[in-house]
Amino acid sequence: MEKLYDIVENFTSYPGVAGFEYMAFDDLTKYVKSLDIFDEIGTTPVGSFYGIMRCGKKNAPLILCDAHIDTIGFVVTEVCEGGFLKIANVGGIAAKILPASEVNIYGKETIKGVFASKPPHLHDANEYDQRMNVVDQYIDTGLPLEKLKTLVRVGTPVGFPCKLQKLLGDNLAGAGFDDRLCGAAIVRALMYLDKKSLNVDVAFQFSGTEETGYKGAMTTAYRLNPDKAIVIDVTHAFVPGAPKAREGVKAGLGGDICLSPHTHRAFTKFAIDVAEKEGIPYQLSSAPGATGTNSNAVQTTRNGVPTLLVSIPLKNMHTMSELVDMKDALDTARFVAAVIKAL
Amino acid sequence: MLKYLKKYCDILGPSGMEDEIRNAIIEDIKDSGCEYETDPMGNLTVFKKGKKRRDKKVLFSAHMDEVGFMVKYIDDDGYVHFNSIGGVDRRVVSGRRIVFCESNTYGVVASKAVHMQTAEERGKCEPINEMHIDIGARSRAEANEHIMIGDCATFVPNYTEFGEGLIRSKALDDRFGCAVLVNMINSDLEYDTYFTFNTCEEVGCNGAKEVAHRLRPDIVFVLEATTAGDTLGMPKSKRACAIGEGAVLSIVDRSTIYDKELLETAVETANEKGIKWQYKNVVAGGNEAGEYQRTASGASVLAISAPARYIHSESNVLSINDMQSVADLASALNERSF
Repeated sequence: MEKLYDIVENFTSYPGVAGFEYMAFDDLTKYVKSLDIFDEIGTTPVGSFYGIMRCGKKNAPLILCDAHIDTIGFVVTEVCEGGFLKIANVGGIAAKILPASEVNIYGKETIKGVFASKPPHLHDANEYDQRMNVVDQYIDTGLPLEKLKTLVRVGTPVGFPCKLQKLLGDNLAGAGFDDRLCGAAIVRALMYLDKKSLNVDVAFQFSGTEETGYKGAMTTAYRLNPDKAIVIDVTHAFVPGAPKAREGVKAGLGGDICLSPHTHRAFTKFAIDVAEKEGIPYQLSSAPGATGTNSNAVQTTRNGVPTLLVSIPLKNMHTMSELVDMKDALDTARFVAAVIKAL
Repeated sequence: MLKYLKKYCDILGPSGMEDEIRNAIIEDIKDSGCEYETDPMGNLTVFKKGKKRRDKKVLFSAHMDEVGFMVKYIDDDGYVHFNSIGGVDRRVVSGRRIVFCESNTYGVVASKAVHMQTAEERGKCEPINEMHIDIGARSRAEANEHIMIGDCATFVPNYTEFGEGLIRSKALDDRFGCAVLVNMINSDLEYDTYFTFNTCEEVGCNGAKEVAHRLRPDIVFVLEATTAGDTLGMPKSKRACAIGEGAVLSIVDRSTIYDKELLETAVETANEKGIKWQYKNVVAGGNEAGEYQRTASGASVLAISAPARYIHSESNVLSINDMQSVADLASALNERSF
């Protein structure tokens, strides 16, 4: 668990709003190299990072583990009088969580910002009945315009800083768990493996631009040309007020294996058997339509790739305080390792 | 003043839970040669002898409490249902980190995820009593090992320098006023002066009512943070005040019409000493001055405020220069005989 926590702490500390994944590459490469897992490491023009671990056997099939490296965030659309920044969202974000929240602005240097909140004396009579739009919110930098202009321009990315906070049990709050947490779980899974004893080569792809259209997963899977794939993403854990159908996935009960037309049923059943045999906790959910993950992009690569989707239950997704039970992340890592070992 | 400010802002002290902030203040003033007393309401009142006496009893007032949250109910699944202590805009609560006083239990405020909202609900922020706090407990019993009904929380301490010459933190309202008063108490005073650090301002100025009654001051200066509306595209007429423009002098707000003579004295003093100041130009907000004005035989009151953006959130933004202007003006006024 401590190893996993260390990886999560590292992975969530890098910027990388969708489209700006390259901002994470230097630190990420340095850190991953220090773990000494992969025989080959690289990045792609579409914002993906990858590493390949070779078992040393000739013509060994390649198993791809995918998580996405990009996070939700914002881009600056206007640098305004008084040191304010207008923004647009990158990925889905609810405006109601923004006022008075803290952000990092990744300009020439990283500067602090705070979303403005409307002072009470300017509230309308029906203030709370009004719909809020992200693009109507704006950021206060506290800097004079002239100085701000030297640091930030239209197109500068903005993200939530990740401040990890341990809660009761193994619960952890932070930003960017979607999907840096899953990248961490994959790396933790690979650390369980003795590569020489495997029958397969294993690739880890940390795909770019999932939040804005899965392009990193498509193109990196094409490049790596895997024989099978495991996609790891986060999924919504049940919270009060959610519909009954959502009760099937709860925090603390293990990774959520997804049955869907966008995943491979035989591979999925094989993986469920592995979890049963190894006594690894898991949950089941189904996605009759889109999974909202990279699974569809990966499984339709080249001639088609049998793909398994497992998700880590997450609460408060796409906020500055995403919430995970780290037991689930560790169980998911153990599950991924067990599946790879069984191939 | 700044040496006290971070320490005070990082202390958890919502209305009714002022013990820790009061103890910190006592620690900082106890060697100053003042006399101090904690009264039944928890207010800390201080008398400091000056070089001279003056006929009128002059009191400087700040409040120790901050806005926060209180547990109303813990459900079977360990989720904490709650409401705010003091006025908190529901839109600065969702998704934020909070920490409970005493048990130091951390939590995250959650509300319905966007994909679970109906089309009608989408884009709107639900009231605070429809949100919940997730502390990571899986059952009421597990939660009750750490917190119970009535327990209080605040935003997580986050004091930081911000922008150019600004401070961002929870609770700058009114820990900055506390820091200014502590600084005054620790300096040599011209005249005998009374000071008070009050409780429960955010829930109706309960502390000030009692202090006004007991001390019967003739003149009261209330040191406060006041809402600055100087955000993007806001016309000057709607700003109330602006950060960086100096100490704020109010003519009238929703609780008080301020003493005309004191106001003129303050303007004159500020101009004389070259202290930056501004008028608050909308009638909004209110503070403990109203209580001093209406209690017992009444008092002459004036508010000297620091402009604060995003007050009552985790991100109060104040200018260091403005806070210094308030401190300078308060000290300069206290050199007057009245």
